Amino acid sequence: MTKSLLARAIIAAVAAAPLTALADEADLLRRIDALAAELEKVKAELLATRQKADAVEKRQDTLTTIPANAPATAYGGSAPGVAVGPQTVVTGYGEVNYNRPTKDASQAQTDLRRAVFGIEHRFDDKTKLVTEFEWEHAVTSATDAGESEVEQAYVEREFGNGLRAKAGLFLIPAGLLNTNHEPTAYYGVERNFVETAIIPSTWREAGVGLSSTLDNGLTWDVGLTTGFDLGKWDAASTEGRESPLGSIHQEAQLAKSRDLSVHGALNWRGVPGLLLGGSLFSGKAGQGSANFAAPNARVTLGDLHARYTPGKWDLSAVYARGTISNIDALNLTFVGNPSPVPSSFSGWYAQAAYKVWKSGDYSLTPFARYEQYDTAASYSAVPAGLAVPTGPNEKVMTVGASFRLGEGVVLKADYQKFQVDNTRDRLNLGLGYAF
Amino acid sequence: MPTSTTSLGPNRVPRGAIALVAVCFLNACGGGSGSANSAAAVSADPAQATLSQAAALGEKIFHDESLSASGKMSCATCHNPGDAHAQSSDLAVQLGGANLDVPGFRAVPSLRYLNLTPAFFFDTDGTPTGGFNRDGRAQTLADQARRPLLAPHEMANASTADLLERLKRAPYAEEFRQVFGASILDNADGAFERIVFALQQYEMEDPGFHPYDSKYDQFLAGKAQLTDAELHGLALFNNPAKGNCAACHPSARGADGSPPLFTDFSYDNLGVPRNPAIPATADATYFDMGLCGPDRTDLASWTDLCGAFKVPTLRNVAMRKVFFHNGYFKTLRDALDFYARRDTNPEEWYPLAADGTPQKFNDLPAAYHGNVNTSEAPYNRRPGMAPALSAAEIEDLIQFLGTLNDGYAAKP
Amino acid sequence: MRPALQLTALALTGAASTLAFATQYLTVEQAQHVLFPEATAFKDTGLRLSTEQMREVEKLSGLPARSVNWRVYAAYRGDAALGFVVLDDVIGKFELISYAVALNPDASVRQIEILAYRESHGFEIRSPAWRRQFAGKTAGAGGLEIGEGIANISGATLSCTHVTDGVRRIAAIAQVALKK
Repeated sequence: MTKSLLARAIIAAVAAAPLTALADEADLLRRIDALAAELEKVKAELLATRQKADAVEKRQDTLTTIPANAPATAYGGSAPGVAVGPQTVVTGYGEVNYNRPTKDASQAQTDLRRAVFGIEHRFDDKTKLVTEFEWEHAVTSATDAGESEVEQAYVEREFGNGLRAKAGLFLIPAGLLNTNHEPTAYYGVERNFVETAIIPSTWREAGVGLSSTLDNGLTWDVGLTTGFDLGKWDAASTEGRESPLGSIHQEAQLAKSRDLSVHGALNWRGVPGLLLGGSLFSGKAGQGSANFAAPNARVTLGDLHARYTPGKWDLSAVYARGTISNIDALNLTFVGNPSPVPSSFSGWYAQAAYKVWKSGDYSLTPFARYEQYDTAASYSAVPAGLAVPTGPNEKVMTVGASFRLGEGVVLKADYQKFQVDNTRDRLNLGLGYAF
Repeated sequence: MPTSTTSLGPNRVPRGAIALVAVCFLNACGGGSGSANSAAAVSADPAQATLSQAAALGEKIFHDESLSASGKMSCATCHNPGDAHAQSSDLAVQLGGANLDVPGFRAVPSLRYLNLTPAFFFDTDGTPTGGFNRDGRAQTLADQARRPLLAPHEMANASTADLLERLKRAPYAEEFRQVFGASILDNADGAFERIVFALQQYEMEDPGFHPYDSKYDQFLAGKAQLTDAELHGLALFNNPAKGNCAACHPSARGADGSPPLFTDFSYDNLGVPRNPAIPATADATYFDMGLCGPDRTDLASWTDLCGAFKVPTLRNVAMRKVFFHNGYFKTLRDALDFYARRDTNPEEWYPLAADGTPQKFNDLPAAYHGNVNTSEAPYNRRPGMAPALSAAEIEDLIQFLGTLNDGYAAKP
Repeated sequence: MRPALQLTALALTGAASTLAFATQYLTVEQAQHVLFPEATAFKDTGLRLSTEQMREVEKLSGLPARSVNWRVYAAYRGDAALGFVVLDDVIGKFELISYAVALNPDASVRQIEILAYRESHGFEIRSPAWRRQFAGKTAGAGGLEIGEGIANISGATLSCTHVTDGVRRIAAIAQVALKK
């Protein structure tokens, strides 16, 4: 369209031109020159613009290719910025539990079992600090039953070949519960007996540890830490019967360290949804205490555990056995007392849970667990008539359900039946949260 | 080290061996440190080398008979180092005063193993705890030393000035001045305070007051074995359903490794029979009620404490000549029999009233009979029930208590 | 004793990454080439979701679309389109996990790679066995949820759940906005 208009215009202009053709020719020439010059200018501008555009494109490309050492972009994955993940994170978990023994309602009790908060701070890509603090039973004072403690305080450092080292007060990698003890992580209002009475969750020691996860799903853990102090054994109380290792742990509280302990753990998660693992912990417990009758006492605790989560099922099993050796002379000094030092204590459990219902972020998972545990499976020999009976080999059946609201909140209810001491039968309700 | 293969067959440790060892004790104690009974002679005691100056003076004062009105009584007279720093005679109460004829009121307690006793206080449950003397009226060892120096029935100094005059004549008076200041002997009360301070330091520092070298101590360390009978006795001692002795006389090592003192510094009311051998009891209205009086006056209104006396250490108890605060029993066997059969056979212990019923707890006014401990084993029985301990068990207990005597040397 | 020695040897050779820090296993470039080794060029698509698309994504995945901008690279071999690489970050339990999802042109998941993992537990998320579970799956057809097609790693439930949710969301975005 434009072309024909232009042609017509030119013809019109030419047609309209009078016999002053020669003078107009010069004028025309001049105009063409000017147009040519303008065209050149425009070409140059176009070239410049094109170059600019190329440069911008190149720059954009280099920006979106993040260089090797820069930290990951911000949460949200949008801007090509260089913001990092959270440097300091507050974490926490807590439980409020209600227990009602079915045979004695006067013992019904509601307890804020624990309220925990933790602070994790990442110094840089390689180094972080993990701390965790706990209040038990709501009120802590000289005359109250509560306790406040530091559960974890360690620094973790990563090395180039996948190796990680930690030092400080950290959790021993034994069993399934100890390193994964938030109320949202286990079934049942109360933690199971095998992993509280035999493996003394929450079990932590101060020392150093090394670990690494291999591509085939195998994680290994080794460590050198503080251990137990057998001098704390109180044969006159029942603490040792409730949890032998729980009654002599030191928890990095002015911990005697003449005798340190070593531990190792192997966990294989090579097949998705399956975990097979075990651990071993051993160390002397005499601590060089002056005039102690069991200077060479040795505490050893081993466990085997498995967990399989096909589809909606969550199946798990743990076996744990501990021994305390070289305590014959010490137990002689305890004759007549109700709780001498056991030579061995053990337990196991099998548990199955199935997520029957899920809607949005609600879900309901009933479960059943059968466990057997004996905190005094055997004693060292004492003269006739002075022996204390071993056991009891208690067997507990727990049946209940967890109702989850999203990821961090769970409501639990269960009923526990004890075979040996059925005055302990009880109904439990609990609220747990974790973030 | 051999395992616990104590013989399960016939008892291979005859009583004679125990007697032999007992004789060794007495000889050993007689020759031990700080044992010199003679007054002014200063023994060249190697232990003195480790005592502070005040304690060294305290040792001299402790043995100085010239500081008494009679001139024949020092601390060591009633607290004989050879008898675990307790009395050597089997009189219920010792005789003191200017002519050694004034009777006292209570049996002499041992001065051993007192250095860790706390001052008197009520703990969080309201339980009276600690203090020195059988009623806890003295707050420190120095406090406790005050009364015997001035009491008319003991060393009978008329006043601190009277005591000061005697001190000035003592051979160590110059040493006293050197340690406590040149002008100390010009001030009676000041000198008195220094005297009791020196005695306290002596009792605290001299290892002879707390040697921890009994057979039981070595057994606790895994270095000695108890005989069958002694081990059975220990089991009975610890067993809450049998002797239950450890409830007030703890036998276990502390969590910090400290050896057991066999007392929890608390008080108990046993309802021991009234002892007519104490002349003061001739007055029917006189009752020695321990915490609530008459010696101690600050707790007079706490009537639920009337009749309670301090739980003493059981270390060296087998060496005692009289037992309990009023020295009613003269043998350990009798004392243990009383524990076991006080309530099942009260007629064995208390005088009978006209109608034949035993006058239980006759050393307490009737209003306070309810204070007597009848709820804790072994004295929680009723007439007709079996006693908590049989005669054979009491024998074993006696064997065990014998292992608590200081100065054990393993048989070669 | 031999198994322990073997184990030690394994541990020392370990994940033979050339990076200095273990938390960052792959750079974006490395991830792109691992996911599409045959690709010759990656172009930023500059993807921005419209409100309508975000609604569809939420319906398809059961999760909010979370943001308008997404880092999506189209992979080319010459002129042939091979698929897409989407980069994303999620919080595991407490720390950021950086990962990349490779999608086929039909919006099915081809592979996922973990670029950075900083938690103390759950490193098994990087194992090929766990990541293989995602291959071939599409949003809306199921199988992209923990316990329903993707197995959990014991002790790292939150990390697994958040990464799986992230992959499902990305698969939905691919279906809604990238599929030809």
